[in-house]
Amino acid sequence: MTVLEIKNVTKTFQMEKSKISVLEDVSFSVSEDEFVCLVGPSGCGKSTLLRIIAGLEKADSGEILFHGQPQMSPTPKITMIFQLFGLFPWKTALENVEIPLEVLGMKKETRMEIAKSYLRMVGLEGFENTYPHDLSGGMKQRVGIARALALQPEVLLMDEPFSSLDELTAKILRELVLEIWRDPSLPTNTFIMVSHNVEEATYMADRVLVMSPRPGRIVSEVKVNLPRPRTKYLRDPKYFQSIDETIAILEKSKLEAPSQKSNRLA
Amino acid sequence: MRRTRQAVVFTAGLFVIVVSYWLVMNFVQNPEISSLPYYTFRTLLRITITLGISVIWGVSFGILASTKKMASIILVPFIDLLQSIPILGYFPAVVLFFISLFQGSEIGIEFSAMLLLFTSMAWAIFFGVVGAIKGIPTNIVESAQSFGLTGFKYTRHVIIPAIFPALISGATLAWCDGWFFMIAAEYVVYLGKTYSIPGLGSYLAKAAYVYNDLNLSVMLLVLITAIVLYLNFLTWHRLMERTSAGTYKPAIKIGLSGIGKLGTVGPRWLHLGDRIHRSKSLILASKWLKRYTRLEKAIALVLSLVAVSFIIYFIVGQIPSAEMFQQAFADPEFANLPVYAALTLGRLGVAYAISLCIALGMGVLAAEHKKFAAIFYPIYDIGQAVPILALFPIFFITFSRAFGGAFGLEVTAIVILVLDMIWYMFLNIVSAVKNIPSEMKEVGHLFGFKGLKRITHLVIPAILPAIVTGSILSWGTGWNTIIFAEYMPYEVEQFGGQPLTLPGLGSYLDKTGYLPPPKGNPIRLLFLLGVVAVIVLLMEGLVWRRLLRKFEKYRVEV
Repeated sequence: MTVLEIKNVTKTFQMEKSKISVLEDVSFSVSEDEFVCLVGPSGCGKSTLLRIIAGLEKADSGEILFHGQPQMSPTPKITMIFQLFGLFPWKTALENVEIPLEVLGMKKETRMEIAKSYLRMVGLEGFENTYPHDLSGGMKQRVGIARALALQPEVLLMDEPFSSLDELTAKILRELVLEIWRDPSLPTNTFIMVSHNVEEATYMADRVLVMSPRPGRIVSEVKVNLPRPRTKYLRDPKYFQSIDETIAILEKSKLEAPSQKSNRLA
Repeated sequence: MRRTRQAVVFTAGLFVIVVSYWLVMNFVQNPEISSLPYYTFRTLLRITITLGISVIWGVSFGILASTKKMASIILVPFIDLLQSIPILGYFPAVVLFFISLFQGSEIGIEFSAMLLLFTSMAWAIFFGVVGAIKGIPTNIVESAQSFGLTGFKYTRHVIIPAIFPALISGATLAWCDGWFFMIAAEYVVYLGKTYSIPGLGSYLAKAAYVYNDLNLSVMLLVLITAIVLYLNFLTWHRLMERTSAGTYKPAIKIGLSGIGKLGTVGPRWLHLGDRIHRSKSLILASKWLKRYTRLEKAIALVLSLVAVSFIIYFIVGQIPSAEMFQQAFADPEFANLPVYAALTLGRLGVAYAISLCIALGMGVLAAEHKKFAAIFYPIYDIGQAVPILALFPIFFITFSRAFGGAFGLEVTAIVILVLDMIWYMFLNIVSAVKNIPSEMKEVGHLFGFKGLKRITHLVIPAILPAIVTGSILSWGTGWNTIIFAEYMPYEVEQFGGQPLTLPGLGSYLDKTGYLPPPKGNPIRLLFLLGVVAVIVLLMEGLVWRRLLRKFEKYRVEV
């Protein structure tokens, strides 16, 4: 069943004197239980696309359909985790998870219960009253994940969620995210992740959507047909084949890209 | 294209100023009006010469203090402490020194004016230079060492380029400070006698107190503001534009009006633009506070007190007599000291609360809505170019006509303090709101924060550290202003030719400095200065330092 449909999305940023075309006619759809990754060179508009899906930015033309209905502004059903975590430094871990629930009008006791249970789920029991300042990068992102999940969204958007973490921490958190995705008891089962790391994308996704340099378009998609959990297949030729395929498409689209004059801002 | 536009602005500005001079000189009736160009020249010369001296001093001592360990141990805490004593507090002592040195001649006032301007200018440059040298990235220092750049070559190729932006911004601040103190420095009433040196500041003071001419005072103020604005745009703005092209960015930017142009793009790009005018020097203030232990501060306090006493007593040749000591504490007003301190603190507190509220409202609105920015940025640009102390005579005449002498002075003091304190708060708040990372704002948007909830949950906590640094700076400048504002020594005939004072620490300090003995007393002056320094340091330790530590965690790491 199709959950999200992105139809002919175009986006241009207005600079002081020039216009920069960021996204050009982007269309794709995501089904329930799917894990989709967007990869592309830096500056290709993949983060902008994610923000348009989240309702944080408006597309110039085109639309986002969520269960067939146009989606224009942020909704608790589609939520996001950020590259730099986006935690409020002036709130404890628990309070950070509670904020969105408070906005929804939940009572203090209920939202504290919920927030605590999600913090427990991401392995942060005992850190409820710690401020982000005193948490490690990995722990901060765990809070970010708990905060997003506490809203019980259907779609989870992730903007390079592991790229500001060290590789070992990133590895552990990737497994945590995949566990959450597979967990049937959680309503969150449709994931879209932006990454510039092809191996990471191939490891996690069912489908890897490859974007061209700016203005970003979807040039191709690579289906990853590896059984899950994929921990055992990290040395499998099929895994490397998928990676090579994606990289080849990326290289090719780079060469075909039109004049690069606007890329100095990348 | 751009060059022609600059040339047009340059000529048009000059034309406007020349025409206004011509108009003022031809249509205003005042015996001294024909000397207006000469007064302008004298003031400009005075400020420029002092700025030159301050730059030379600030650069050489700044480099010395940041490259030689011994020099740094002695110089930095010492100057830091001198900086925390309100300049206008030791001005009476400086006047005392120079007047007795030159036996009451005008040169003495000229020297004390220049020393006052110097002390107000030099610190900003010194700390800018020290901060810039400390801020040179380790990789640059190491690569310079590996290529064998040492001594003079290191200074020339690494230090000078690194301090250049700080020097420009420090000099800008110094320049503005110079205009700020001009009126206090050019017109002094000492031992019942008025000393004035030719200049715009003294002319403005005379217009208000001698001629009691409100129109002329306002006109002079407008002229002064126009000159300050014109010179700011002509020199500092262009210098800053030039330095920002290099790798090292200028630490501050005066004049907010240009920013709006950057703000028309999406959040990501806006963020890049904002980096340019982030006010590092303001953030530096918080670092300075944390640098010293109490012991170091105590040592610095003792050192500077010894130095000040040395200057006053040994050079002037006045060895303190037992009688002087006795007089110092026998003054009937002395018992009121706690009350005076409380009154002065109360005035500062009221003015601070008012300016915090206004600056918060204006700052948040200006940073978040372009429409308000279009109104508030120009107000800021003009507001910070007005030499606040020069507003004093004008407000005093206006308010004393409305409310009578004493209460008029009270109102004037508060209004002047508010106008003085508000701009630091405003600038800090605007840049802090603009520097809230876009990701943080997106989180707020994503989870549906709106209106008041957004302000209380997101904006206010995010800018708390900046509010504290802004507060520290406003209190610093507030102390200076209140020492000036509590005391009206000029014999305005309306009020029976008597000096007007508001009971407070500031006026007591002025009386002790400027009046003949037994009211005036160098020892009591030193003691009162010590009291002010102690209050400033106590507030620092008990209030600001704690708040800074508490809010340090709130600082958003990017």
